[in-house]
Amino acid sequence: MSDFIFCTAQYDSGDWDSAPLVPANLIDSIARYTSISVAPTGVTVPLGSTELFKYPLAYLTGHLPVRFSELERRNLREYCDRGGMLFVDDHNHDIDGVFHKSAVEELTRAVGPLKELPNTHAIYSSFFKFEDGPPATTHELNGWGDNLVHKHLLAAMRGDRIAVLYSSKDYSSEWGYHPDNKRFLSVDNTKFGVNIVVYALTG
Amino acid sequence: MTTLERVERARRTLRAAAIGAAVLRGAAVALAVLLLAATVDAFVSLPTGARQAVPVLALIAAIVVFARRWRRAAVRADAGSAALWIEARFPSLRYALVTAVDPRYAGRVPEIERVAAEVEFEPAVIKAARRALTGPTIAVAVFAVLLLLLPSGAIARVVRPAAGDALSRARGGSHVNPLATVVVRVSPPAYAGLRDESLDNPASVRALVGSSITIEGVVGDGAVVATLGTTAPASGEAHTNAVSTADRWHLALTMPATPTAVRLRAASHERLLLLEPAPDSAPVVLLTLPGRDSILRKPTGTIRLAATASDDYGLASGAFELIVSSGSGENFTFKSRTLGAVTFTSRTGELAATLSLDSIGLQPGDMLHLRAVVRDRNNVSGPGVGTSDTRTLRIARSDEYDSVAVDPAPPPEAEKNALSQRMILMMAQALEKKRSKISHAQFVSESRAIAVDQTRLRKRVGEIVFTRLGEDTGEEGDAADKRLDRPVNADSVLAAADRLASAPVGTALEGNEDETPLVATNRPLLEAYNAMWSASGELEIGEPGKAIPFMKKALDALQAARSAERIYLRGKTRAVVVDIDRVRLQGKDKGSASARTPRQPADPARDQRVARFDAALLLTRTAPSAAVDSLLLLRLDLLDRDAGAARAIETAANALRGGKDATDALIRARRALAAVPSTPIALTAWGSPP
Repeated sequence: MSDFIFCTAQYDSGDWDSAPLVPANLIDSIARYTSISVAPTGVTVPLGSTELFKYPLAYLTGHLPVRFSELERRNLREYCDRGGMLFVDDHNHDIDGVFHKSAVEELTRAVGPLKELPNTHAIYSSFFKFEDGPPATTHELNGWGDNLVHKHLLAAMRGDRIAVLYSSKDYSSEWGYHPDNKRFLSVDNTKFGVNIVVYALTG
Repeated sequence: MTTLERVERARRTLRAAAIGAAVLRGAAVALAVLLLAATVDAFVSLPTGARQAVPVLALIAAIVVFARRWRRAAVRADAGSAALWIEARFPSLRYALVTAVDPRYAGRVPEIERVAAEVEFEPAVIKAARRALTGPTIAVAVFAVLLLLLPSGAIARVVRPAAGDALSRARGGSHVNPLATVVVRVSPPAYAGLRDESLDNPASVRALVGSSITIEGVVGDGAVVATLGTTAPASGEAHTNAVSTADRWHLALTMPATPTAVRLRAASHERLLLLEPAPDSAPVVLLTLPGRDSILRKPTGTIRLAATASDDYGLASGAFELIVSSGSGENFTFKSRTLGAVTFTSRTGELAATLSLDSIGLQPGDMLHLRAVVRDRNNVSGPGVGTSDTRTLRIARSDEYDSVAVDPAPPPEAEKNALSQRMILMMAQALEKKRSKISHAQFVSESRAIAVDQTRLRKRVGEIVFTRLGEDTGEEGDAADKRLDRPVNADSVLAAADRLASAPVGTALEGNEDETPLVATNRPLLEAYNAMWSASGELEIGEPGKAIPFMKKALDALQAARSAERIYLRGKTRAVVVDIDRVRLQGKDKGSASARTPRQPADPARDQRVARFDAALLLTRTAPSAAVDSLLLLRLDLLDRDAGAARAIETAANALRGGKDATDALIRARRALAAVPSTPIALTAWGSPP
């Protein structure tokens, strides 16, 4: 069995590389908590490339407006139809921000409308238990961005499977630190990332 | 005498006896308390605080006992009670006395008077009064005798406890250690105005330098010899012998300027005493007037001077000090004088004076330095001299540039070019307007003058562009002039810029997508450069009207360059490779993920002191007095290095010497020794605290 490789999706518009430490941090968490065979580094794959189909989970984030090319849109639709899962996180944590508005619009065009994901969904218990749904981030609790604590994540479904998981919680900031610094946290805040990976591999 | 009068006399007798008994009982209780305390103190030395409480306790006990007896006596204060008391002892009276003292029957019933007259109750009353006084009197006498049997010092220690009375309970004798109990009396220097102080069995004595130190003890086994220093006395070394008078020995010393150990020896006994000189700070002086440095236009008029001063023990004198420096370059002359001298008698004081500038003959360019200087009353190791900040007043020279004004800074390069181009444009427009009013020769001459300015500006812009693009403009200017004196092909220059910025570091800023930020920023300047070249050409041939469009274009291009967006490129994040084996605790630690800070090198001196402390700890079981001495010597070394550790060690040494549990004190001392010492803030070189 081949290693799980964390994939960051690169799109033509915007700053797709705004959270360069998140992949390493989640790889560290997967290695730390699970027995999943994981590659030590992630890869960056263009959203319009068929290379994307090699990876069951892709991570997409940014601050700036998202404008998919027709190729990217078509490729993403096919990726989701084939069983891939895209995890999109709003690095602005702002539902009035340009990323949120443009990304939701583009994702709706590409894979269909995003709906609230119930907090009892299997992704919240795929590895660690999150009784109250998605864990809050310090950015939410400090009132940054839109000054909201988002109670739900959004998702575009393919049947009962999540095809696109969309977060306005700014996990990109929350998890954007070197994994060696994890030892300074009393509670590891990347555990939900493990759930996303495990769900993408098993869901 | 009537029956009523007899009863009244009996009442007074009984009452007097009751009051006297109450007083005696109270006194007996007070004496008992004092006797108990003195007896306990004779065996176990009570601390001064406890002994100071003994007289108070004795007084309270006496008052309580007296009050209780007084209240009982007050119950029988009337004649009826006295009559009943007598009737109880003489039943044959059959209540005749009670009836006789009743106001309703008093003197009216002869039969009652007769019955009462037949009974002689007075002897019984006197006997009862004597009996009431006898017991308390005996108790008072016994306690008083017992107190008198105690040594006189023992009574004084509980009746008038005071620091320094430890010798009162010490007994001399040929087998007594004369160093076991020591009292140190300290007389500070007169200038300090402090009271004399006595210390019982101190491990160290802290006093002002020059204080008289008298060490006292009881005469015992061997003569007492003192040696100053930390080492054992060697042969030939100067000793100080104690003077013996009656049953006491005395040793007089003077507090030295540096911490010193006094080693007391008598036969086989030895004891250490540390002498710690307390500092006498220099006066603190604050110059309040003039409030700041200044420059005077003319050396005339008067200036008010004011200062405040304070000292920890007392100020002696103070004055303002003036220094006038004249000259310039490397030739200066100085003259100084004092002003407003005052003598102080307290710890705080003020100085005030008025300085006439005319009187000191200041010349333009001279500088007047002012400060207040105050001395304290320390006539032993001083005097301490405190000085204020120095204020400087300078007399301006008549031809001097106004130093208060601020030199105007040149405008930024781009601003300067834009301004110059706008001025040249306005000059050209003005010349064009008066074309018809002046001769052709003058017109062409003025046009060529503007062309010179335009050319100069063009060269300046060219230097900026070529410097930015990394090309050598030539320090001598020849190569640059040659190149800049011809029109520039913008495309070739931009191609050079592209070569310079060969790495595609970012997306286009503006204009063409292929442009790098470097090119995009310099393009407007190149356009301005070429437009200026065209304008200067037209001006050179006397056509300012044709030059104006080029000049406007150049101005616009300069404005565009000014408003160009600056981009600061973000550094690329290093790729992080997770060591999966290490995270899963399966691999070997091949290094450190983050830099490890090397430990601070150990302080060898501190380690040495800790080792000395540990050695002293080992001695506490086998030779406690040697351990105490070792600790005191260690403390002597620490006095000027680590005051906290020195205090902790003193506490531990005192506890050990007092035979108390010193565990906690020793633990604290060990921690203080092992910690990094904090250096005390020393006085500045100028004598005033920072």
